[in-house]
Amino acid sequence: MAQAARPASLPSGSDTALSGTTLRGEVWKQLKRDRLASTGLVVLAVLVVMALLGKLLTEWIVVFDPAMVRLPAKLLPPLAAAGAHGLAPEQLPAFGVYLLGTDELGRDVFARMLQGSFVSLSIGFVAVSIELAIGILLGGLAGFYGGKVDTLIMRFTDVMLCFPTFFLILTVVALLPPSIWNVMIVIGVTSWMGTCRFVRAELMALREQDFVRAATALGLSDARIIFRHMIPNALAPVLVSATIAVATAILTESALSYLGFGVQPPDASWGNILSDGRTFLFDAPWLFVIPGVAILIVVLSFNLVGEGLRDALNPRLRRGR
Amino acid sequence: MARFLVRAVLVRCGLLVVISIIAFAVVHLAPGEPSEVDPMNPLMKPQDIARIRAAFHLDEPFYAQYFYWLRDLATGELTSFKDGQPVLPRIWERFQNSVPLFLTAMLIVWTLAFPTGIRAAITRGSRFDRGTTFGAYLLISVPSFFLAYLVILWVVNTFDVPVIGMRTFGFEGASPLRVGMDRLWHLAIPSLMAALSGVAVLSRYVRSQMLEVSAQDYVRTARAKGLSEERVVYRHALRNALLPFVTLFGFLIPGLIGGSVIVEQIFAWPGIGRLGYEAILARDFPVILTLNFFAAFLTLLGTFVSDVLYAVVDPRIRLE
Amino acid sequence: MTTKRWLVAIPFVVVTALVQSALWVPRYETQGAGNPGRLTTYIDLGIGDAKILNPILSADSASSQVTQLVFDGLIDVNEDQQWKGRLAERWETTEEAYLTVLPGRTLPDGSPATAAAVAGRVRAALASGRLGSLAERVQAVERVPAETRELEVSIVEADADGQPVERKIPARIDAPERVKLSLDRVVSDLFEQLAPVVGEGLLEQAGAEAYLKPLGEAGPADVAALAARSAELLPVAEHNPVLTFALRRDVRFHDGHPFDAGDVRFTYEAILDPKNISPRTSSYEPVKRLEVVDDHTVRVVYKRLYSPAISAWSMGMLPEHRMNGEALAREAERRGLTGEARARFSLRESETAQHPIGTGPFRFVDWQRDEYVHLARNTDHWNGPPEMENVYLRVVPDLVTQEVEFKAGAADGYSAQPHQAARYRVDPRYQAVSTPTNTYGYVAFNLRRPLFQDVRVRRALAMAIDVDQLIEHVLYGEGQRVSGPYYVNTPYYDWDTPLVPYDPEGARRLLAEAGYTPGPDGILAKDGERLAFKLITNNGNPQRKAIMTVAQDAWRSIGVAVVTQAFEWTVFLEQFVNALEFDAVVLGWTGGDLDPDLFQLWHSSETNPYQLNFAGYASPEADALIEEIRIEYDETRQNALAKRLHRLIATDQPYVFLYSARATYVLDRRLAIVERDASGAEEFRRIEAIYGRINFFFERWRKLAQDPVFAEEG
Repeated sequence: MAQAARPASLPSGSDTALSGTTLRGEVWKQLKRDRLASTGLVVLAVLVVMALLGKLLTEWIVVFDPAMVRLPAKLLPPLAAAGAHGLAPEQLPAFGVYLLGTDELGRDVFARMLQGSFVSLSIGFVAVSIELAIGILLGGLAGFYGGKVDTLIMRFTDVMLCFPTFFLILTVVALLPPSIWNVMIVIGVTSWMGTCRFVRAELMALREQDFVRAATALGLSDARIIFRHMIPNALAPVLVSATIAVATAILTESALSYLGFGVQPPDASWGNILSDGRTFLFDAPWLFVIPGVAILIVVLSFNLVGEGLRDALNPRLRRGR
Repeated sequence: MARFLVRAVLVRCGLLVVISIIAFAVVHLAPGEPSEVDPMNPLMKPQDIARIRAAFHLDEPFYAQYFYWLRDLATGELTSFKDGQPVLPRIWERFQNSVPLFLTAMLIVWTLAFPTGIRAAITRGSRFDRGTTFGAYLLISVPSFFLAYLVILWVVNTFDVPVIGMRTFGFEGASPLRVGMDRLWHLAIPSLMAALSGVAVLSRYVRSQMLEVSAQDYVRTARAKGLSEERVVYRHALRNALLPFVTLFGFLIPGLIGGSVIVEQIFAWPGIGRLGYEAILARDFPVILTLNFFAAFLTLLGTFVSDVLYAVVDPRIRLE
Repeated sequence: MTTKRWLVAIPFVVVTALVQSALWVPRYETQGAGNPGRLTTYIDLGIGDAKILNPILSADSASSQVTQLVFDGLIDVNEDQQWKGRLAERWETTEEAYLTVLPGRTLPDGSPATAAAVAGRVRAALASGRLGSLAERVQAVERVPAETRELEVSIVEADADGQPVERKIPARIDAPERVKLSLDRVVSDLFEQLAPVVGEGLLEQAGAEAYLKPLGEAGPADVAALAARSAELLPVAEHNPVLTFALRRDVRFHDGHPFDAGDVRFTYEAILDPKNISPRTSSYEPVKRLEVVDDHTVRVVYKRLYSPAISAWSMGMLPEHRMNGEALAREAERRGLTGEARARFSLRESETAQHPIGTGPFRFVDWQRDEYVHLARNTDHWNGPPEMENVYLRVVPDLVTQEVEFKAGAADGYSAQPHQAARYRVDPRYQAVSTPTNTYGYVAFNLRRPLFQDVRVRRALAMAIDVDQLIEHVLYGEGQRVSGPYYVNTPYYDWDTPLVPYDPEGARRLLAEAGYTPGPDGILAKDGERLAFKLITNNGNPQRKAIMTVAQDAWRSIGVAVVTQAFEWTVFLEQFVNALEFDAVVLGWTGGDLDPDLFQLWHSSETNPYQLNFAGYASPEADALIEEIRIEYDETRQNALAKRLHRLIATDQPYVFLYSARATYVLDRRLAIVERDASGAEEFRRIEAIYGRINFFFERWRKLAQDPVFAEEG
């Protein structure tokens, strides 16, 4: 139930009157104290490096070749030494070992996971960027202008909320031609409603504050006021929900992959490696367990960092610690 | 009160129409024809395909198709592209299959989440609290089908019992008690799988609500009165913390459709989520659209009920 | 605190109740304990649910699996891949041939040709022995008087969007008098033999169009459209092959109603009824008319020579009394249908498609969508009742959970993936069966692309793929290589056609010969054009995905740049295959029994969008062979022609023909085939599959309480 994965507890209105720099310092300090969250942050940092390296080493300078088929060396367990399968020297993996084993066609699982890490992460980030862009834009307009604009946008938000999200994503992804971009866009386009609502609520509160009045009095354009002055002040809760949304997007992609509509070959994502791996659950459990655990760790890190951020940003809870 | 109800109902009807139009547009403008129009069938000639398209009104303009759909839905004569059978009884039949799964899952979620969440809140910072917190994050973060397969594998390999489907077959000769227990067992694992992330989310929510409430003045007062901590928590804090859960109830109903696709697919459960998934695969537009309509209807119904409940429970909210 | 106690007690009770229920569930080894009915129940697993349980309407394999058990056809294929009678006790093929004598033509001796004169000359020639063995074939020569027929001719045109549209032209045919020859078997070259007797001129088709007249307001386009079809509407020399079936007399439907010739006629008419939208209409298109001679004799008269015609009669026979217009009207009435819904109410909507009644070995009991179809044995079956009392065809949509369910004993058999079957073959607790099938996998090239027009390129690409390795590792040995378009099970497959050897070096040489040299990026190129293309397939089929990946890798190693992608089935067909917008596709064909007709797949007239020769293979030589096979009634000669066609297409290599995978099935080890000798004593035989059909002997399958002891093992 991917769509249920977003925790329901969200800040009811953090104290955004704190000035930016002290808030940032405070939050950072707070985050570092939260052991789970800081571990998550480290994992994420490692992951981003890995994803970039993965792109580099599997596509540009091919050290690990994820497409190399070695049928006689199929379904080898992790750490199996290469060789003795009648393969040509140029077919052997780097360092002569299959770090994470081989799949049913003898492809190097490590190479495929490396390649997939970039795809999986970009799905998360791109989908969330789309979600944020739509959510901030609509929420900003609704919160700033209020009145008819607000009613219209919020009604539309209500309409979108009425769709069974996962079913809608599934339908659209199934009907559209398969492409990794469609998966990202569809996930983004169907999940901006939460962001829209926070931003609107924040802006409604901010609208009455002095700095906004001053800006209006100075004759600045609405767009400038909204996006330069108000949104940055409303970003804290958005950041929290975005962090968690990345996790949700990665999970949604894996769920789509399970149903056959996720990222399609030749792109390898952790979701489709996992989904393919289940075919050989009895013969080569690592094909299933490795991507599953990898997804678990990444999503867990995002969730922990998101929760850590939330706690750090929520002064009431902080006092309680 | 009456005005509030009428208005709420009217607005929701309007939303329902907009939703159905959007859904219709999404489904019909996408490429791909119903699979009954299977051009790879070597036995099918172009004129056969034309005939099928005409029978499904696929050759008519968009608005006319929408009109046909709406009319057939209203008269109950809407039939599936796949087998020409009426759609509404089919959905009702599947809905009945999904309900036990959904209810059992909800039972597990609500009965497990409360004690866990409350205990975590009371013993904040303890090993139990940290353990359940981490456990909850694990459950939220694990791809649901990944976990389900591991559990299935473990159960089947260790206990050698079947877990897939709604029942064991060829069981006609067995006693009613065994048959009943068999049905219960087939419910157990899928509903547990469907419940896990719900337990995680809800127990976290219970915990934070309890923390929130226990900082309130009346709880402190109760504590100051010298009441035992247990009494403070269960009598005073819990009651007040319950209020927001009323709204949650309304949002749970639609989970019946969207949330069940994967679990029902894994466990071969002939419920409403699988009906939807099979319909998507077959491009069975009437079924997809009606299910979507049905889900939107349930969501709106849920929000309506929770609005009303909230107003009834919380005197601070007035119905305007 | 009561609240606290409740809060803890309830989840404890709930969880305990759920967990303890596991103790009541039967396991693989204890299926029958306390439940003796389990041994007479067979439970099968399938991926997809049936769609519609009417043999004339269903096109999917899950539905056919049910309808094959519930319905009987007139004929069936036997163990030796030959037709055998089922509802038909026997059948014979005869012929009625007509020679239309167009007024104004003359006989070889210069006299004006009349039907009487032509008939006289033919009779005389037959009597004189001039026509050799034809005299034995011809039973009668008669004169048929002139007649006038009115009919609607349907013409398929493309509308503005390119969608096919059917148009009807009302027309009148003033058929002149004819000579009819009755023959005791089909003589394909009858008119060639008669030509010297009656003169070539008399057999000419040109001129017949003068007797076709459009009715009503008809433009010149209509006249031309009719003229274009004169050979079909008013053939001068016409072969009418006739199939006469003698039906069994002891057959009853599951509701007790006797089966007779009326049901055969009804089934035929139901297939042709446009309201039913039967996907099988085209198989019956060559039928001219179907006559009920008496209650147990049916004559099918064909419009023209079409030797594969008999295969259409393996179709399950429908019960007329439950499905005719009257029965449907009653049902519509009962369901309270009105207006449009009533007008379009057909067999498709009827509950007979949900609750079928046939004559087959099993009768239908119940169908829960996406869960199971329940059948029970037909104790009244003409071939004796089957062993199993109940059959459940369950739906489990995932291959892994299917295996889980099978292992736990909740199913007796399922169609396993090769890697699963390989495991069960060596596991004494289960049994595994496999059999070759009427299928083959291939990579098809779009021959319209300049790149693939050179046969050397196609051959080089084929030589680069190590199919043997593919079979060994992807199919776990459950398959065999194929060289061409016919299925290995059929007598049409030419075993002398050599397989393409795996030879990457040879492939490189061949490409060099074709003018390709390595470019700066290591990719072969010719005249600056890189040897690069896109290989696509549908997702959801692990084997095709594997072929795609292996082919990409193999071709990359000989310097061909290939991009691969998998698409969802419907999108794949609509946007790529049918639209002919592809370079190369991985696909497979699955065929019916014993059908030598490759017209739709390989004839050059079938290369348009939405037709099955999507590769665009067009060879005049192949076209001629395909057409010849269709009208050849002699089995030996037909087989020889088919073998030639097989070799021809294999040599032209429009596809890389890969392999024919075997069907692999795993079963409960306690299942066995029961054989009874004359005295009624029983012996058990291992489950055996015949030519692609695992369940060939299904009616004799029985599940034993203990492991069976097999006859041949003592």
